[in-house]
Parts: sequence; structure tokens; C-alpha cells
Amino acid sequence: MKDSTMLSHFSKGLIKNNPVFVQVLGMCPTLAVTTSVVNGLAMGAATTFVVFFSAAIASVINSIVPNQVRIPVYAVIIATFVTIADLVLKAFFPPLSASLGPYVPLIVVNCMIMGRIEAFATRNPLAPSLADALGMGAGFTGALMLLGGVREILGSGELFGATILGETYTPMLIMILPPGAFLALGIMMAIFNQLQESGAPILRKAG
Amino acid sequence: MKRMILVLTIVALLSGTALAITYSALLPRIERNQQIALERSLGALFQSAESPEFELADIEGADAPQIYTARSGGSLIGYAVRVVTTGYGGEIRLLVGLGPQLQRITGMEVVEHVETPGLGANINSASFKQQFQGLQPGQDISYVKGGSASAEENEIEAISGATISTKAVVSGINATLDRALALLADQAGKETEE
Repeated sequence: MKDSTMLSHFSKGLIKNNPVFVQVLGMCPTLAVTTSVVNGLAMGAATTFVVFFSAAIASVINSIVPNQVRIPVYAVIIATFVTIADLVLKAFFPPLSASLGPYVPLIVVNCMIMGRIEAFATRNPLAPSLADALGMGAGFTGALMLLGGVREILGSGELFGATILGETYTPMLIMILPPGAFLALGIMMAIFNQLQESGAPILRKAG
Repeated sequence: MKRMILVLTIVALLSGTALAITYSALLPRIERNQQIALERSLGALFQSAESPEFELADIEGADAPQIYTARSGGSLIGYAVRVVTTGYGGEIRLLVGLGPQLQRITGMEVVEHVETPGLGANINSASFKQQFQGLQPGQDISYVKGGSASAEENEIEAISGATISTKAVVSGINATLDRALALLADQAGKETEE
């Protein structure tokens, strides 16, 4: 029983409560950095790192944090992990850090993180909070990679930087420009919701 | 009330400590990456030269900019001046190449910036950087809007929607080149005296 609830805390972030497609949280990085799969993966990983450790600490110290300073305390904790993530990227992945630019520090204001802490981590013990954070992080990363993949294929004819559509394909430049982000996200969100409403078996099983 | 202050103080202290430790642990690596980026930009500035070698010029003076001398096969082919300026999103670090006689700007390379992608980040686009080629380092560069920039007037075209970034680059280059030219002239004077 316990294992299955733990699994459901994790898996609800993947499909049923996907932070991007269902909760529509964290739209700034979702729209801004998804010009390629690798960017989506890096942003997703950095966000997962931050939400995981912030949720862990928030869940543990929740009982000693007075209600009045709840938000400032969690903001400080989130900002700390974001800065650590930024420094790690700069030290070990300089090209990624350059291509993500100011969006890494901006994870601080990703509402998905504060949202999960407020809605889940502060109301639950450590283990479910970690499962929830991991699930949400994975759902966020998956959505960003999916969006990044679609935009990279259509917008530059490549995937993971390798040409896949061949020389004859003329890239639709708009897909890697900001309007392409809105187009791709809107269409994908529609497909996603349609699939979920019609109860496609694959989604029901995972959700 | 007391507990509120205590909790927030402790959390802030712990966060500060964690950041200080991470920062000092990663600083050597970050600095090495910055050095690599700098060398790559130096190479890009003098890419037409055959195996250029760079050396940090030994120039003293209050707030003296860092100036690299570029040599190819022993002969001086130019200088690269480091410019640090504050843009819209934070610090912009760039390099300005000068000809050996200091009469022309030979190029501009952005080493590091955090300007807004799609707008200010275009300071790193080839079309923006190219505009600096051939400008005169001795007089101030100005930026204009609307496609009327002329190189003879020492003008560049501002990036549309990113005036703050453009202004930061131009004023940073102007201020630093002023200082750099004075220092290089001083040094040249000393060398001839010797």
C-alpha cells in the first residue's frame, strides 16, 4: 500500500498533474529556452535539482518556521539552490550555461517550485515530498524536452544537434523564434488534453 | 516574534555559508572556463593572422584596462583591449581589437554577457559586431537608430529594442579606449626615450 501511494506521488507529476501541460506553471523557462532538446534537458535538470532539495528542506523545517516568515524563508532556500545550480553549470558545463544565459538565475521565480513547496512539501513528510518533487521535476523536464525536440526538428531540422531531416528540408525558422514557442506549446497542450480526456489507455495507466 | 527573527536569521546564515563554500570550491574551474572563453575571443579577433600569440601588456596606472598585445611571427599585429561594462542584465565583458598603429578598430568580440535573448543578446551577433570594424578609436563612437549609421561618422546602428545594451557596449568601449589609447601612447613614448 505504502509503496503504491509513494509511486502515485511521483507519477502524478508526469502526466495527470504535469506542471507544464496541466498546471501551466513555469511558463517563462518553458517558452524561452526550449529552442533545442539539450536546452530543455538542462533547464529541466536544473529545475529538478532545485525543487528536489528545496522541497526536502521545506518539508523538514516546516514545523519550526513561523507562518509569518514562511515565504521569505522558502525564497531564501530556493535562491540558494538556484545559485548553486548556476555555479555548477558555469563550472562544469560552460556552453550550456552560456546558452541558457539569464534563465538559470530566473529559476528562482519559477512558480512551479514555490507552488510545490506550498502545496505539497510543507504539508507532507519528507519521503512523499521527495517523490512529489522528483515527479514534478521529471514531468517538467519531459515537457521541456518534448517541446524543445519539436521546435528543434521543425525549426532547424536537427535533433540533439545532428541533422535528421536532410538537406532538402528548409527549416521553419519561426519555430525556434519566440512565436514558435507559443505555437508549439498551444498545439501540444491541445493534443495532450484531448488525449487525456478521451482516456487514452497509456495515459490512464501512467496517471 | 522572536522566533520569526531567529528562524529567518539562521536560514539566511546557513544559506550564506552554503553559497560561500560552493563558490570558493568552484571558483578555480569557473575562472579557467572564463580564461578559455577569453582566449577563444582573442583568437577570433585576429583570426586572419597566422598563429597569433597574445601577451598581457605590462601597463601600470590607476584603473588601467587590461590590454593584450598580439604578435605573429615576432612582429606586432595589434592590440586587444578588455572592456567591462554594465548592460541590461548584468556585466558585459568584451574585447576590442586595435591595429598596430592604433589608427583603426579591427574588431569587437563579446566574451561574456547575460543580456535578454532575442534582444540585448544580439550584441553577440555577427552583424552587430562587424559594425565596429574600421571605426576610429580616437574619437567617441555613437549609436543611431533607423538604419542611418555611417562608418565615416564613427556611428553604429543600435539594436532595435535593445538600446540599453547598445548604449552599454558603446559607452564602455568609448571610456575604455580613451584610457587605453592614453596609456599605450605613454608607453610608446617611454620606449622611444629608452
